[in-house]
Amino acid sequence: MPEKFWTSFEHLQAPVEPDLAEFSDTPLRNETGPDRRGFLKAAGFSFGAAMLAGCTRIVNKIEPNLIQPEGFIPGRSVYYASTCNACSAGCGTLVKVRDGRPIKVEGNPEHPVSHGALCAMGQASILGLYDSHRVMQPVVEGKNVSWNDADAFMRNRLEEVRKSGGAVRLLTATVHSPTELAWISRFLEGFRNGRHVQYDALSSSAILDAHQQTHGSRFLPRYRFDKADVIVGIDADFLGTWISPVEFMRGYSASRNPNGSRYAWHAQVEPRMSLSGSKADRRVMLAPWELAVFVNDLADAVRTGNSKRAEVAEIANRLRAARGRGLVVCGLQDTAAQQQVNSINETLGNYGATIETAQASRQKRGDDRALESLMGELRAGQVDVLITAGVNPVYDVPGGEVAAKAKTLVAHALRMDETAAKAQVVLAGSHSLECWSDSEPVEGIAGIVQPCIRPLFQTRSCLETLAAWSGKPESGLNLIRDQWQKEIFPKAKSNLAFDKFWEQSLQAGFAGFEPSPRPKTAGTARPAAAPPPAARQEGFDVVLYAKPALFEFREAYNPWLQEVPDPISKVAWDNYACLGPQTAEKLGVTMGDVVRIECGGQTLELPALVQAGQSETVVAVALGYGSRLSERFAKVGPEWIEARPTLNDKGQVGVSGTPLMSLEGGLLRYSRSGARVSKTGKKADLACTQEHHSLTAPGHLRPAAGATRPIVQETTLEEVRASGGHRPKEAPEPQLWENDHPTPNHRWAMVVDLNACTGCSACVVACQAENNIPVVGKDEMRRKREMHWMRIDRYYSGSPEDPQVAHQPMLCQHCENAPCETVCPVLATVHSEEGLNQQIYNRCVGTRYCANNCPYKVRRFNWFQYSHEDQIANLVLNPDVTVRSRGVMEKCTFCVQRIQEAKIESQRTGAPLRDGDVKTACQQTCPANAIIFGDLNDKNSNVSRLMADDRRFKVLEEINVRPSVGYLKIVRSEAQRDTEKENG
Amino acid sequence: MADISLSPPLVVGYKKISDVTDDICRPMERWPGGTWWMAFAVAFSMLLLGAVAITYEIATGIGTWGLNPTVGWAMGITNFVFWIGIGHAGTLISAILFLFRQRWRTGVNRAAEAMTLFAVMCAGLFPIIHMGRPWFGYWIFPYPNFRGSLWMNFRSPLAWDAFAISTYFLISLTFWYVGLIPDLATVRDRAKPGFRKTIFSIFSLGWDGAYRTWNRYELVYLLLAGLATPLVVSVHTIVSWDFATAVIPGWHATIFPPYFVAGAIFSGMAMVLTLMIIARKVMGLEAYINLRHLDVMSKLIVLTGSIVGFSYMTEFFTAQYGNNMYEQFVFLNRAMGPFAWAYWTMVSCNVIIPQFLWFRKIRHSWTLVFIITIFVNIGMWFERFVIIVTSLHRDYLPSSWASYTPTSVEIAILIGSFGLFFTLFLIFCRLLPVIAIAEIKGVLKHGAHIEEAH
Repeated sequence: MPEKFWTSFEHLQAPVEPDLAEFSDTPLRNETGPDRRGFLKAAGFSFGAAMLAGCTRIVNKIEPNLIQPEGFIPGRSVYYASTCNACSAGCGTLVKVRDGRPIKVEGNPEHPVSHGALCAMGQASILGLYDSHRVMQPVVEGKNVSWNDADAFMRNRLEEVRKSGGAVRLLTATVHSPTELAWISRFLEGFRNGRHVQYDALSSSAILDAHQQTHGSRFLPRYRFDKADVIVGIDADFLGTWISPVEFMRGYSASRNPNGSRYAWHAQVEPRMSLSGSKADRRVMLAPWELAVFVNDLADAVRTGNSKRAEVAEIANRLRAARGRGLVVCGLQDTAAQQQVNSINETLGNYGATIETAQASRQKRGDDRALESLMGELRAGQVDVLITAGVNPVYDVPGGEVAAKAKTLVAHALRMDETAAKAQVVLAGSHSLECWSDSEPVEGIAGIVQPCIRPLFQTRSCLETLAAWSGKPESGLNLIRDQWQKEIFPKAKSNLAFDKFWEQSLQAGFAGFEPSPRPKTAGTARPAAAPPPAARQEGFDVVLYAKPALFEFREAYNPWLQEVPDPISKVAWDNYACLGPQTAEKLGVTMGDVVRIECGGQTLELPALVQAGQSETVVAVALGYGSRLSERFAKVGPEWIEARPTLNDKGQVGVSGTPLMSLEGGLLRYSRSGARVSKTGKKADLACTQEHHSLTAPGHLRPAAGATRPIVQETTLEEVRASGGHRPKEAPEPQLWENDHPTPNHRWAMVVDLNACTGCSACVVACQAENNIPVVGKDEMRRKREMHWMRIDRYYSGSPEDPQVAHQPMLCQHCENAPCETVCPVLATVHSEEGLNQQIYNRCVGTRYCANNCPYKVRRFNWFQYSHEDQIANLVLNPDVTVRSRGVMEKCTFCVQRIQEAKIESQRTGAPLRDGDVKTACQQTCPANAIIFGDLNDKNSNVSRLMADDRRFKVLEEINVRPSVGYLKIVRSEAQRDTEKENG
Repeated sequence: MADISLSPPLVVGYKKISDVTDDICRPMERWPGGTWWMAFAVAFSMLLLGAVAITYEIATGIGTWGLNPTVGWAMGITNFVFWIGIGHAGTLISAILFLFRQRWRTGVNRAAEAMTLFAVMCAGLFPIIHMGRPWFGYWIFPYPNFRGSLWMNFRSPLAWDAFAISTYFLISLTFWYVGLIPDLATVRDRAKPGFRKTIFSIFSLGWDGAYRTWNRYELVYLLLAGLATPLVVSVHTIVSWDFATAVIPGWHATIFPPYFVAGAIFSGMAMVLTLMIIARKVMGLEAYINLRHLDVMSKLIVLTGSIVGFSYMTEFFTAQYGNNMYEQFVFLNRAMGPFAWAYWTMVSCNVIIPQFLWFRKIRHSWTLVFIITIFVNIGMWFERFVIIVTSLHRDYLPSSWASYTPTSVEIAILIGSFGLFFTLFLIFCRLLPVIAIAEIKGVLKHGAHIEEAH
């Protein structure tokens, strides 16, 4: 007890209450519930006790550190290597843990799949942990029960089935965790009729089936975009949503470095504008039914060297000229077409070069045929116990409602999704940041998933559950360790003892090992004769696609991802019917007009969106919307008299596209023909963050001085090569006040490579996670009041039917002569002596003059009190960054907290700051390596080097604000440049 | 009328000195009539509506306005500049016209000065309520504080604004009050002993009407007029710098100061006429505010209106001649873009309609001039709206182009500001002499009526 100080005798006798409001260390106090500490204490005791009785034996209590453990420093972050679980790509992560709670997920730079990058979903996955709408404990027949009771119930039920020989089915998404797979088969071995069915909501089953045919083994090869010189994507959005976008984006940008020795040529053949299509050098737009024909034509052209179709001939010749350096990828759910693609790649000698089969991918293992037969069994009522783990068939499988026909439906789920709502038993699953697991995204690369916090609720991982039911109620750690000791360690050929090997792998987050060899049959089977073009019905072709950043229902709960504007349409918080420009005109619809899509007895009503670069017969609808998980967003935005709801009249975000999917012929199909589209006359709000889509002034407003603004600049490969990459020395522009802002120590700056940027929006979410950026909801987005500090502008050029796309990340440019700084009446925004333009939140009175005067419009204003008092969700907040209150301006800080951290670290150790010691959140996560940040005072830094690159330009340089952010020009092919000049 | 002299009389009808005092003091000394009460009820309801809207806005957040990051200012600042402009006529009439010995001003200067004060009050409201955190609005002033070296930013035009407007308000108030003193004494002398007499005694500062008192009064008034004159130019010049010093095309223009000053006088004159045409009718002051005033002020309107019109053309010319694509676009967008309706409303009301005042017949029709002044009032509101919103909504990066629609809260606040203005003006009409009694007596044609009577 410290000495009590007193100021008067009254004071001594009656101790003064401290002013809690002012000096509270728990600013986000919830009035009704317990405070954070109380909550954690309660979590520690009650859940710890529950766990004790259950299966965990590692650490059983959370208590305040009365005696601080060695090495634990409050306020310093610790990073744990783990594996991302947001999709099945298995990227390596480093989880930033601060004072015992994970606050950010970043890419693991050492990881052989993702190389330090992470996508938007990976960045946002941390919100899934701190989610107050999770299933917090097991539910049996509608009642919350303990794990003991749930286990007892399940053991009884499973025992019955075991005795009667009934059917047990375990339905999961792709599982590539070796330990989980081992336990799944152990668990199912106990039943005479037990089977494990895997399916992917975004299925690649046709590729696996095709390899079964052509290569004799059902596997997914590993595509190496980093080794390819000619890339042909056929309806495969490999930069956006296909299989492993982060890995592919890394490889793609490595192959397309205009300053490097080689520059890959990319053609994309697709019915709708995808992210990959937006980067292509050559884009061919085809209706879905024409794609298979195209593949056949291409196969012929590759063999013969000529084709009647000019675009086919061009692509084929490029491929033939780059034998063994080409890569044809196809996303069609059509086994025959996939076989043709395999034969193209085989003919060109791409297998073994750009397509790895020895160390194949395990990122998609779904088998739609097995799914179809399971659906048949369910329909016939032949399934006794259906256990779904991490999947939601009721929502995302067409006709998936039959899951409820299983005699016992058990859902292992984190959230009450459609399937869990119908399930008799709901098992509360742990988030991947709370439990042990492992992964094997690519054969021979095993990653570890390690917990970074104790389970917040009474949850358990699927692995532990299966082990418990199989009679081994062990902790996840032991299960994984055992498996690694038995299976992976021997193959790893490590000369360490297992304990050391395990420790090393845990620290690195992964380990490499020798995979078991696949039977060598590659290239033996010839593909079947070219299949006849699919019979096509009159009408529209429906194309169902996944949005980058919000692949499928699993992310529908995530407000960060809902709020990311789609990189192509720039619309957030909704899905919509994308129509080609001419079609829209014919139907007389513009953005926001509700259209009705009728197809195969199903009817969907969706707001229309006119999408440039889309095949005119196609109506495209994004999947993953209209899910129960989005019902939580009823109160996401500010509430005031003119606020409009985020949810539609069904009480959900968007409309589910699943009814238009089909599961036939052993494949999940994402397109079908014969749809009718009609205008309903209704209107709906679409939260589109970008109104004007071109750098050219609209027709009747074209100024004489030039219609196209030089905001995104382009060059050609020839020009880059001719210049040798270095820009001629420029005479410094005269300044009114020379050296007005001296930067003696550091001068922070950034270069964004527009040629590398794919618009994937990982940086947007990384920035949101790092900087405590609030979620504002659909209505605020509709009013253009998104709060993202980093936004990605998307511009079209050329004709609306076949446009070119430019993505431009736009953030505070930290101008040397910042227009915002002079106009603030209260000096709330000032220049630092390291070249940063700083915003002082508690000084800001909110005149918004700075935002008006910002030529880049990157300042963000807190129109309302956006931060909520959500006890659990607020655990994600970064303690290094202020949570802003209403009425103040904010904007990108160049992650000043990271700069400070690095500088303090450098002072502590005495080592000078090196280039790369400070990485902004956006830079850290960028899968395309498009963002480079550093110190211009360091002449050898990457950023200094790129500032001197010939491709570098600055946006609005002519108004002499002297921005600190440089951009590198987009490299276009000559042909593209010509069409562009035409249309401006 | 038999009078055919070159300058028509400033007071028509054969008014004796005592008539003047009676005519002007009478409305103050009796219980207001039904018309006044009705007008007051309407104005006060509008004020209450505005008060509710402002309370809601401050309690909920500035997000209740239809703004966005691209259009950070819209109706709020439009109203601010509009009211500041309205407040311009007062000083012009009282100070500049006084110095130029324009004796016709005596009929309207009191009301015009009152109007100035009320308009500046309305205007002063908006910079405060448009802030994100209005409770910290006082940080804009350089006052001693304990925040170390953190003070205000003297480079910011908003800080200059705060000085300009507070100076303008204080000087206008002083000028108005000094001019009121002799009249306050007149009212005091007529009042029965009691509360009213006491109040007027205090505020007439012991006025005794002596020669020496008059002498000093005239001197002080002259000096104040001289002091106030630069303000006529400075206030709106500084307000225009809010825009002219910015980098936004459509704002960044050197023509803004003269253009804004002319516009302010234009709108101020129109508002004075609007009010005086009503007041003379309602309060029976036809003799004191007459065709002479109507004629002169109409001429001022047509002059300033033409300057404003010329400025519009100059802006377009500069943009075209400057060959800057952003600048050119802003003006094309202004005239033909999504806010073209606002632009053409502005041009019609400010440039085309006032041209009718070239005709003597129209200038001499109370009804027609009244209608034209209403148009000018509307047009000048739209001028500010056009400058602010159309320049902001499509600036440099097409990705951030946005639109603006006012919300109900903003419209209620605009109505509320009119409510405040009219409420204050109506109270003023009841409590103080609306015409400068002492001054008007100086312009009576003494003797003229005596001759006539013979």
